[in-house]
Amino acid sequence: MIKVEHLSKKFDELVVLKDITTEIKTGEVVTIIGPSGTGKSTLLRCLNLLEVPSGGSIYINGADILDKKTDVAQIRQKMNMVFQSFNLFSHLSVIENLTIAPIKLLGISEHEAQTKALELLRLVGLAEKADSYPDELSGGQQQRVAIARCLAMEPEIILFDEPTSALDPTMIREVLSVIRRLAKEGMTMAIVTHEMDFARDVSNRVLYMDEGIIYEEGPPEQIFENPQKEKTRAFINRVRSYTCRISSPDYDLYAMNAEIEAFCEKQILPKKTRYNLLLLVEELLQIYNPYLRTVVLDMTITYSEKNERLEIICESTGDEGNPLENQSLTDDLGLMIIRNLTESIDYRWLNGKNRLQFLLKSNLP
Amino acid sequence: MDLQTKTEGNAIIVSISARLDAVTAPEYEKRIREMIDGGNNFFVVDFEQLDYISSAGLRALLLMAKLLKEKEGKVCFANVKGNVRSVFDMSGFTALFKMENSVAEALASIA
Repeated sequence: MIKVEHLSKKFDELVVLKDITTEIKTGEVVTIIGPSGTGKSTLLRCLNLLEVPSGGSIYINGADILDKKTDVAQIRQKMNMVFQSFNLFSHLSVIENLTIAPIKLLGISEHEAQTKALELLRLVGLAEKADSYPDELSGGQQQRVAIARCLAMEPEIILFDEPTSALDPTMIREVLSVIRRLAKEGMTMAIVTHEMDFARDVSNRVLYMDEGIIYEEGPPEQIFENPQKEKTRAFINRVRSYTCRISSPDYDLYAMNAEIEAFCEKQILPKKTRYNLLLLVEELLQIYNPYLRTVVLDMTITYSEKNERLEIICESTGDEGNPLENQSLTDDLGLMIIRNLTESIDYRWLNGKNRLQFLLKSNLP
Repeated sequence: MDLQTKTEGNAIIVSISARLDAVTAPEYEKRIREMIDGGNNFFVVDFEQLDYISSAGLRALLLMAKLLKEKEGKVCFANVKGNVRSVFDMSGFTALFKMENSVAEALASIA
C-alpha cells in the first residue's frame, strides 16, 4: 500500500530524517516508537505531504506521490490523519465537523453524510454528542470525534500522530479502545505513540526510530521482549545512563561521586543503593588504578526504570585480560566487596576492549 | 575525613567522621603511625560519625592493627553500624576485630 524509499527531510541544516525505507501493507497496523525528536511525527507528516520530503520516494498503491502531477488532495483523502491536538472546527457542531468534508470534497448529499456521520459517532460512542460543540467535550471525546471525522472520508489508511499525548490518563484509554477497535476491523494504520503497552497489543509491526532512521523494526514480540539493538533495548527498558572517562590515576574521586549522586538523585534511587553504587565505583577504580597511566577507562552506570536494574560497565583499552584477575593486587579486600555488592559479573574482550559488566544486587541489607 | 583524639587513661580515643576512603586513608594512616611512634599503644576507634568506608579505609585499619601488634598494643572499635558495618561484614572484618557498642565498653575491653 505505502512504500517509502530512502526518504529524507531537512529543516535548513537540521537533518530530521536521514534515510527511511519501509513499507506498510494493506490491513497492517504499524506503530512508530522512539525518543522525542527522532523524526517520528515528521515521517507521518511527510507521508501525508504536510511536509515536503527533501529526498527519496513515497509510493501509494504504486503511484509516486512526490510526482508534481500528483493530486495531493486526493492523496489526503486516501490517507487521513489524526493529530495530537484534535484540530476540530470549533465553530461547527460535532456532526457538522463530520459532514463538511464528505459533502464538499466527496460530493455526497447532506442526508447521506449525516447518516454516515451518526453511524461513525456510534462507532466511537459519541452519537449523543452529535449536536454539541467541541468546547463542550472532554479531550478524549474531542479526539474520538476527530477519529470519526477522519473515518468519514473513508480513508484507506489512517495516520495517527501521538493521538493520546494531549490527554489526561483517564481519557487515554477511551481513545485507545477506539483505535484498537479499528485495528480489529482491519483498518490500515500507522501510529506514532508513546503508549508502549498499546503499541505492543495493537501492532503487527513496530518501527523503532532513533537518529532519523528506522533503527530497528520487527514484530512487537521482538521489539518489546527481545530487542536486537542496544538503543532499542535502552529505550524499551527505559534505561538512563551516566558515563565518565578516566585516563589518569589522578582522577578526582569526589567530583565523580558528585556526578554519580546527581544521577542517582534523578532516578530517585534509595540512599542504600547510592551508597553501594559509590562503594562499587571506588573499589573498581582502585582495581583499575595501576593501569590508568597507560589505558583509558570508560565507566558507564545504567539504570533501567522498567527492570530496576543498576549496572556498571567498564570498558578499558590495553592488552586483553580481565582486570579483576590481575595478580598484582595487594589483597582481595576490594574484590570481596565487589563480589558482595554484585549479582553478576561478566567479562568479555569486545571490539578490542576489555569489557566488564556488573549487575548490582538489589536486596542488600 | 575529620580525625579527633582524646586521651582517656592510657588509651587514646580516635573519633573519625565522614569518609575513610582512597582519598582520606593515607592521612588516617599517617596520623595513627605518628601516635604509635609517639609511644601510644592502646586505642579505641569511634565510628559513630563515620558515614562511608571502602577497602582503602579497611587497609588503614589493618595497618593500625599490625603496627599495634608489633608493640603488643590493643585496639577496639566502637559504634560500627549502618553502611560501615555492612562493609565490615562483607569483608570479614567483623570477625577480625574487637568491636563494642559504645566507647565506654570499648575502653573497658582494652583495659
